[in-house]
Amino acid sequence: MAPLDTGSASNLFSVGAERLALLGKHHKALMQGYLDGFIDEAAFSETALKKLIAARILWRPDEQQPLALRPLVSELIASMVADENRRQINADVAEKLEQIRNRVQAYRDAQYKGDYSVAELQLQRLTEHVHDLSGQFEEAIDSLWHRLNSDFGFVASLDDKIRENERAQKQLRRLLDGLVLLDFNELIELSEGNNHLRKLLVSQLQNQLSSHHSSLLEVQKRLVELLARFRQQQSRSMLITNMAAFLRQHPKYQPADYPNRSDVPVLFNQAAAIQPQAAIALDKASERQILAELVRALPRTAVINLPDQQSASFAAVMEDEEIAARQQALKTDVENFYLRVIDKAGPLSALDYLAEHQLNWDSEIWLYQIIAEYQALPVDEKHMFAIKRDEVPASAVNSLLLIRDISLSLQAA
Amino acid sequence: MLQHGPLLERLLAGDFICQVSDEDAFRHLSLEQTQQDINHYLRPLNRRLVSNEDNSVYFLAYHELNKAAREQLSGQFALTVQSLLPLLEWLQLVQETLGRDSALTAGDTIKLQEFVLRTEDNQSLRQRLNQLASDRFFNSQSDALDNQVKLIFRRLKEHGYLLQPHSDRQYYIVTGKIDYLIDVIRFIRDEEHLPVDDTPTQQAIL
Repeated sequence: MAPLDTGSASNLFSVGAERLALLGKHHKALMQGYLDGFIDEAAFSETALKKLIAARILWRPDEQQPLALRPLVSELIASMVADENRRQINADVAEKLEQIRNRVQAYRDAQYKGDYSVAELQLQRLTEHVHDLSGQFEEAIDSLWHRLNSDFGFVASLDDKIRENERAQKQLRRLLDGLVLLDFNELIELSEGNNHLRKLLVSQLQNQLSSHHSSLLEVQKRLVELLARFRQQQSRSMLITNMAAFLRQHPKYQPADYPNRSDVPVLFNQAAAIQPQAAIALDKASERQILAELVRALPRTAVINLPDQQSASFAAVMEDEEIAARQQALKTDVENFYLRVIDKAGPLSALDYLAEHQLNWDSEIWLYQIIAEYQALPVDEKHMFAIKRDEVPASAVNSLLLIRDISLSLQAA
Repeated sequence: MLQHGPLLERLLAGDFICQVSDEDAFRHLSLEQTQQDINHYLRPLNRRLVSNEDNSVYFLAYHELNKAAREQLSGQFALTVQSLLPLLEWLQLVQETLGRDSALTAGDTIKLQEFVLRTEDNQSLRQRLNQLASDRFFNSQSDALDNQVKLIFRRLKEHGYLLQPHSDRQYYIVTGKIDYLIDVIRFIRDEEHLPVDDTPTQQAIL
């Protein structure tokens, strides 16, 4: 490149390279400074600090303030790490456009004078400006997408997200306004009669900017949608908080009787459940085969063939009408005893009842029958009664317990 | 109609169908033709397909409101009113416990373990959960945090507000029925002109 030939340019090169190296040399302390917002001066030597300040990397914004990174350096870091909290968007198009006009003029002047090396240099600068302009939009669009795709996750609260979204929309509007400033008729005029310029300013720039324009519109659409969603969430949170507070303050609150209005709101018209049931039907001959297979596939329980028949007839032989009648009488008396227990609140002793009602059952048989009846109750009914046995050991040496009496009471459900 | 058999069964059983609870069925229900078919089928059963305002959740309503239907609706309504506060408190509790910046919406995932861990170490959250669990709607008899949380989530699953994708894994997805709940609250608020605000004040916007 031409400028490297001159003495000042080589000086520029060495100073720039040296100062860039400073960034690398102190990268950790500088990055810490970026995160903290100020520089810990103890982390540097005296000379290092002086060099960093001279290189315009650090500065002291105010006498009282600690050293900090220069805004441009912070911005560079923010852009490199896509830190949306700190990233800046530059929407200034007018300034860039002015520079492009000047460069075109300088280039044409140089060409007119026949000073080709200067013209070459001006064309080089012009190319850089055009790329800067496009790059500026690219950077902004990248930042906007990045924020959008992370759902503005870099701020914590919903309120902050809404504010950030609104800020992004303002930036976007400025970018779109900037695009409007680019008048392609003017650019065509500027590049008239020169192939290089036409390629650079018209076909290339126009292409890039029109793709930026459509990107920006897409981002805008998405930002608006996201904002609507944020607002909906916000309103939902508030509704929940405030309604809960209201209901807590008015525990007896009862809304109007919507189900009995002539026009029931659809929200409260929720039909009762219907559970469809089906059973096997035998009316279709064609399905018998399938049904038979289903039946065959049922797990078979091992049937123990109890000699029911025999035992029944055996009992029948033993049965005596008189005994049956006495058994029935005993059963009835025991049932009456149970009914008495249900009527009475406290526990009732079986033997007391026997004496009280002057029933002439043997006390042992009486107790047996009461226990038998209790055991025969269904499980849930069993829980209704508390049965308490009054037991004593058979003798001092025999721990066999003999039941002396039984008291029954109704148990609280 | 044959293809919608399972869907019809779910609807008849009183299920709310949303994008989370049954994505395919939900897509079918958004088609006008399917809605007509289903309504035609349901007509003799005195049922019709309805949805909330944003069409994010579908359920069955009575076609004609006879006496039996109104009785059922009255009972249903009493339960709904009774469940409002416990459900709202649960929504607030989850939001605060998990440190979320917005209210729960359909599709959000809640990990039971995370919820328990965060409640355990926080006395005030613990107390609020304790109170909530003993509410009539959840009716927990246990004092153990783990049991209380499990019961609360199971009850919410039974009521269709939560979906548990794997019965052996303790994480839940919020269903679209939560939208229905919000709609009910908003409806009551509007209808009864309750002093319950849901728009941020001008100051908050500024």
